[in-house]
Amino acid sequence: MRSARLRRSPWLLVAASLGAERWRLVPVGAALLLGTLLPLAGPQLVARFVDEAVAGAPIEALLALGAAYLAVALAGQVAAVAASATASGAAWRVTNRLRERVAAHALGLDMDYHGRHTPGEMIERVDGDLLGLTQFISGFVAQALASLLLLAGTLVLVWRVDPRVGAALTAVVAAGSATLAVAQRRVVPHAVASRDETARMFGLVEEGLVAAEEIRANGAGRHVTARFLESAQRVLRAEQRWQVRGGGVLAGTNLVFALGTAGLLAAGILLRQAGTITVGTVVLLFQYAQMVRAPIEQIVGQAKLLHEAGASAARVAELLAERPEIAWPRTPVPLPPGPVSLRFQDVTFAYPGDPPVLHGVDLELGAGRSLGIVGRTGSGKTTLARLALRLSDPTEGAVRLADIDLRDVGRDDLRRRVRMVSQEVHLFAASLRDNVTLFDDAVPDEAVEAALASVGLRGWRDALPGGLDTRLGAGGTGLSAGEAQLVALARVFLADPALVVLDEASSRLDPATEEAVRAATARLLAGRTAIVIAHRLSTLAGVDEVAVIEAGRIVEHGRRAELTGDGSSRFAGLLAAVAGGAP
Amino acid sequence: MTPRPLGAWRAGVALVAFRARRYLPGGVPWALVQILPLFTGLLLQAVFDRVSGAQPAYASGLGLLAVLVAVETARGGMLWTGIAVWPGWWLRVGAWIRSNVLESLLCDPGPPVTRLPASPGEAIGRLRDDVDDLIRFVDIWVDIAGAVVFAAAALAVMARISLPLTLVTIVPLAAVLVASRALTWMVRRSHERMRERGSSVTGMIADLFAGVLALKTAGAEGRALARFEAGNASRRRAAVRAQLAVSLLQTVSGAGAQLATGLVLLLAAGAMRQGTFTVGDLALFTSYLVALSNVPRWLGRVLAGHREAEVALRRLGHLQPDRRPEGVLARRPAASAGPPEPREPLRRLEVRGLTARHPGSGAGVFDVDLTIEAGTLTVVTGVVGSGKTTLLRALLGLLPAEAGSIRWNGVPVPDPGAFLVPPRVAYAGQVARLLSATLAENVALGWPAAERDLLAALRAAQLADDLAEMPAGLDTVIGSRGSRLSGGQLQRAAVARALVRTPDLVVLDDVSSALDHATEERLWRALAGSGLTCLVASHRPAALVRADRVVVLERGRVAARQSLPLASRQTATAVSPSAGSGSRASSTEREVGPPNERT
Repeated sequence: MRSARLRRSPWLLVAASLGAERWRLVPVGAALLLGTLLPLAGPQLVARFVDEAVAGAPIEALLALGAAYLAVALAGQVAAVAASATASGAAWRVTNRLRERVAAHALGLDMDYHGRHTPGEMIERVDGDLLGLTQFISGFVAQALASLLLLAGTLVLVWRVDPRVGAALTAVVAAGSATLAVAQRRVVPHAVASRDETARMFGLVEEGLVAAEEIRANGAGRHVTARFLESAQRVLRAEQRWQVRGGGVLAGTNLVFALGTAGLLAAGILLRQAGTITVGTVVLLFQYAQMVRAPIEQIVGQAKLLHEAGASAARVAELLAERPEIAWPRTPVPLPPGPVSLRFQDVTFAYPGDPPVLHGVDLELGAGRSLGIVGRTGSGKTTLARLALRLSDPTEGAVRLADIDLRDVGRDDLRRRVRMVSQEVHLFAASLRDNVTLFDDAVPDEAVEAALASVGLRGWRDALPGGLDTRLGAGGTGLSAGEAQLVALARVFLADPALVVLDEASSRLDPATEEAVRAATARLLAGRTAIVIAHRLSTLAGVDEVAVIEAGRIVEHGRRAELTGDGSSRFAGLLAAVAGGAP
Repeated sequence: MTPRPLGAWRAGVALVAFRARRYLPGGVPWALVQILPLFTGLLLQAVFDRVSGAQPAYASGLGLLAVLVAVETARGGMLWTGIAVWPGWWLRVGAWIRSNVLESLLCDPGPPVTRLPASPGEAIGRLRDDVDDLIRFVDIWVDIAGAVVFAAAALAVMARISLPLTLVTIVPLAAVLVASRALTWMVRRSHERMRERGSSVTGMIADLFAGVLALKTAGAEGRALARFEAGNASRRRAAVRAQLAVSLLQTVSGAGAQLATGLVLLLAAGAMRQGTFTVGDLALFTSYLVALSNVPRWLGRVLAGHREAEVALRRLGHLQPDRRPEGVLARRPAASAGPPEPREPLRRLEVRGLTARHPGSGAGVFDVDLTIEAGTLTVVTGVVGSGKTTLLRALLGLLPAEAGSIRWNGVPVPDPGAFLVPPRVAYAGQVARLLSATLAENVALGWPAAERDLLAALRAAQLADDLAEMPAGLDTVIGSRGSRLSGGQLQRAAVARALVRTPDLVVLDDVSSALDHATEERLWRALAGSGLTCLVASHRPAALVRADRVVVLERGRVAARQSLPLASRQTATAVSPSAGSGSRASSTEREVGPPNERT
């Protein structure tokens, strides 16, 4: 399987991403090639210069050689700049595409996954890890390619001097590379561990910043800082475990190539002693040794990037290998137009490893009817809502819409026809328009205005200086929780769904605002199937039916009017409790 | 006059001084890595002179190569030492700066809302990247120190061989320095721009994942991602420009070195023919010039790094209460768990003429008077957007007050943000924010509470029954922001966090909005019956019915107050007029009374 392979070798991921951009890599390659070949010509000129100078050649010939060296060197530098800039562009394209793929993939994972990972952690996953890859591709890959070219070119030229020296140098390069590769594999797990700790540390910082006001007002600032310092301590330990090993690899590789250089020079000395090469050629061998060393030092110097990139790629691959529990059907059954019926059929639900939240819930709701669900906090109401939205699948049983198992309905179809207003409203750092349309540019402004008017935000919107373009800050700065809730309601008005799930939709509205929303909600629910989960019984005044849920079981379900009239019903009991002002 | 703000150089010295014992053992090997090639060059000179001289000495040439290998081995050892020891410095310094910034945001006077950038993602970007930039600047110092020592010694050796040739090589290297300086502005501007775009991308990611539920249920993931792609593309363009600037800066120095080598060839031609400039000398010159070419590069990096560090310092300084960077590098005393300072129990809290505006919008509260007597329950109520939350936050110093005074038992409170904290005041906000940790940790959050105290607070917050159903009890790890708990459970956990601090005054912002009726009744009954002084924002009948005092806010002003116990829901509902009504104030005044008895 593809994901399994990715997990085994995260480098495939990098290779595949690069392959997708292969045409953009052509100019990068051309620049790299020029930037490599030109410097290779330099030592040839110097060698000739030495031999002719020692031999007492005319000064004009020596000056011409010197001038040629200058010209070749400068042209090589220009090529190097071009290579660096084009490599950076390609690297950003590749990693941006990967970043978008990772973000899309992560957004597609179940809510359960998002419950376990903070937005701060996701920044590290979607940005931090990929930044490592960007640096790796633009720096290391370009650098490594140039160095490889240089190595290959040098080897060819040394072979031409003497095949035995060429063979020896080739062996040294191969041995050095192999040592590096093996050592690398031992270092990567420690790099992964270090990055994990770093991600956790910044996750903690993020939570601390988000909760800054409550932490301050409860005098817990120093405690949270102390927790951060503990986390930083763990990062330090993990980083040291990694760097000690990484540094060893670096030093070892360095030594291998130092030996190679010395060996090359020794070979040159012996050949000179035998009289088979000139002094100039010994200088040539030395120059090539210098030239091979510099890029190899750069590779090894950037080996940290390789470790980091290996760790980053592994984590990106790990995230991409994460599969949502929710699988959308290959051949979806379309939902019929108009109102739809909703049925919970013997639904049991449990989070993995936890006791069930719902036990054999069986509920039927006719098309166009609305159902209020009443129950204590934690009794399973929110889970019912999540199941109806197919944010989770039942552990046992089925949820059916228009008698179609939700697992057979297409994603787009479902998301268009079923909408919710959640407990927590998140406002995006975007314009008011985007917050209502959820980034749908195809929606005309009139529709947005109408939706805002429907929830009673007309006056509020008119008071905004920027109109629909007003930016709502992250976390909805400048909006009260009630106003945010109204904006969330406007989203649903705009979507015009067949099934509406109102999860404590009006919980934060004061009575007056709620009154306006109640009228709008009634309009919204007209002709639509709806589940209303509310804690105040007053919110349920407009629903057709009521179900009472206790500890994950439906203990009562009937028409609201009938339950209200039946003094012995639990619902009537609840109503009486409210009317009495005490339970 | 305010003194000149802390610059990157002085800040760097402070970073070194903070952990000098670790900086030096890590830094010296790094510097030696730069210096050791000095010996390599001398050895090469000797080797080539033995090979090319009139009387070649091949055997001793081979012997010198063994010394060369030894020098390179030593260099590898230095590299290893440097790499292994270095994190001990820079991670500690990083933790120091970050904890300073965090502690300042969480403890120091001045509301964090006025200091933090708009999105948490952007703030994370500052704490992550800006701190790294600052450290990297100081990190370069050891390299530049090594490079400068190398350069001085190398030039001295070269000058002894041939002063004119040495001077000639200095010319292109000096030109490189000048060009580097000219290129620095380009690096600076492009870097700043790239950083901005990067922050905006991280902000977008945080936003996307914080709002994942809304996106998912609306099937809007794809459209949101399209915005993300636009942000990514813009960042890519900025990054490529920055890379171009940086590589120009680097190439200028590399080109300078090769220019110098070319000049040596041109000018040494005559001397070599005469034998006054040997092949060994040429080997030494070329070897040193390669290494010398690093010096302008390191200088360039120091210049660019200095610029980045200045930007980082400024941006980190903006997170400080005084908007200056000094506090970022303060040596804060370790948190002491000493006995709580003696306090005078609350008798009366008076707020007079409090005016505060929400940053970024004109909305706020204006000229609010409020008196809270010990042992009473005060409910602030009003329509959506009337300023309930703003009033509570301004009172607690979480929003900057433009005017007004607060008196605790008649004594003025100059800095409510620092004074109105546990054990005097505790707070639960409108949106319960918990950390990814155990329930016990989230409730205690550093407060020295025994398990008994935690359980009592959870009981008072009506979370005891829920707790009984949690398999791990108090040790239940609640997910990111506690999302495995329901909205109502989160709210009650936040209330427990406030109650466990046994404050004189507990401030609760709309904490029962997600509770079912029975739980809500029990919560308010428990709070009202506890004798605790409570200031709450709510419009819930269960709260209003038990209030000793009700304050009705309208468009940020007190529209009505009722200081006798209110009782019936009818009244409670009526205190808030219907939305859109034109004559709110008058209807409110009329409808507040008459008070009924408590049931």
